[in-house]
Amino acid sequence: MSMPFYVSPEQLIKDRAEFAQKGIARGRSIIGAIFDQGVVMVAENPSASLYKISEVYDRIAFAGVGKYNEFDRLREAGIRWADGTGFTYSRDDVDARALANYYGQHLGDMFTEGQKPLEVEILIAQLGNKLHPTKLYRIAYEGTITDEPRFVVLGGDAETIKDRFAALDDSIQSLTFTLKSAVSALAGPDRTLPVDDLEVGVLEDRGTRRTFSRLSDAHVSELLS
Amino acid sequence: MGLPLFNAQSDPGPSFFHYAQTAGLAPPSRQGEPESRHATTVVAVRYVGGVVMVADRQATGNYIASRDIRKIEPADSYTALAISGTAARGIEFIRMAQLSFEHYEKMTDSALSLEGKANYLSPIIQRNNLSSPLVVIPLLAGWDLSHQVGRIFEYDGAGGCYERMDFATIGSGSPFAESTLRLGFRSDLDLEGALDLGALALYEAGDNDPSTAGPDFVRSLFPMMVNINDQGFQELSGEAVAGRFQVINDRRTQSGGVAGGTLR
Repeated sequence: MSMPFYVSPEQLIKDRAEFAQKGIARGRSIIGAIFDQGVVMVAENPSASLYKISEVYDRIAFAGVGKYNEFDRLREAGIRWADGTGFTYSRDDVDARALANYYGQHLGDMFTEGQKPLEVEILIAQLGNKLHPTKLYRIAYEGTITDEPRFVVLGGDAETIKDRFAALDDSIQSLTFTLKSAVSALAGPDRTLPVDDLEVGVLEDRGTRRTFSRLSDAHVSELLS
Repeated sequence: MGLPLFNAQSDPGPSFFHYAQTAGLAPPSRQGEPESRHATTVVAVRYVGGVVMVADRQATGNYIASRDIRKIEPADSYTALAISGTAARGIEFIRMAQLSFEHYEKMTDSALSLEGKANYLSPIIQRNNLSSPLVVIPLLAGWDLSHQVGRIFEYDGAGGCYERMDFATIGSGSPFAESTLRLGFRSDLDLEGALDLGALALYEAGDNDPSTAGPDFVRSLFPMMVNINDQGFQELSGEAVAGRFQVINDRRTQSGGVAGGTLR
């Protein structure tokens, strides 16, 4: 009988983390930021149909980076969870924190017990009202949840983009200002991002129950000009 | 309820109803003879720019259970859904339909077509009516965005879905409402004509069917009237509906409680 090689738990975790980080670093980044009327999510995404940002519930949105098939499955599960919870209890009882915790548990389980860790990082954004606060939850590949106060950057180059965005936008501003800062932080000093390569989703109160909207290319150009 | 993840073989896809069944959110079924009476009248009338729907507001058990329930609800911004039959199941059915259409839209990032919505409801009705004595018969009307036309879909007890090109009725007052619609319907009806005809059909049903409430001038409770056109679902204001029924009532009073030889 052959003996399996001994791998220390430290080494195992390190290898798995490296594997997940490499996968995530291949994809492009997303910024989610609170502005004075809501939450805006900006992704660099050359595809006009394979979305990274999506509506989950009346006041909750999802954004994912990394492997599309992996985060899209999590997105679908999130919509099911939210619709199922709202159907069983009430629409007011659907809260982003509970959803973020479920994602954290699942990603944590996959990281330690799965065949391979999921190569994704996700953002759950909630637009606040009287019952729930405005929140940005970042859930990392190993299940860590962080509650970001003003903005969050997901993806490979997160640290650099984070610094660039923080330098441009140091307080809660208008949608136009926040969007401009996010686009320039994603682009960096050496390039400009065409509007076709941007995906922008907004959570904002417009007097309707559902608050999520996707901004069209025309609308984004107008805001950026 | 944990995170509802499925593998590729067992994934219910964008259908909320199938997910709800998998997750045990839909009620279990029970065999038995149908025991519900369809104490309601709802009419839908097509006109050149859309569809009008009118419904009475009375819930009837062995006595009057409620005088102000809503039997028409927007299933989404371009679709109206009305129910007759068991109130409990009907209300759940409307919630399920509303959520299913929204769920599909969020999952796939595209809205279902009107025909898609109509067909989606068939197996839900079939499952409820053939496995439970608590029968529900809905009526679906909406604005078809791809063909730019108002359309009506009615259902039989087994979930069969039929498109109606003119008008449709559900509930115990149907014979009276339908007679009025058959005499008054024209293919060139405009919005005003369709609202008048729909209100008159409901008035007739309320006048003849003990389980359908006509206008209630004592409590200022009037039937519910909606219009669905290229602007989406709109409910008529209480005053607009009251005015319309007041006119019909005054005419009837003058002619001694009968229509008086004309359709009015």
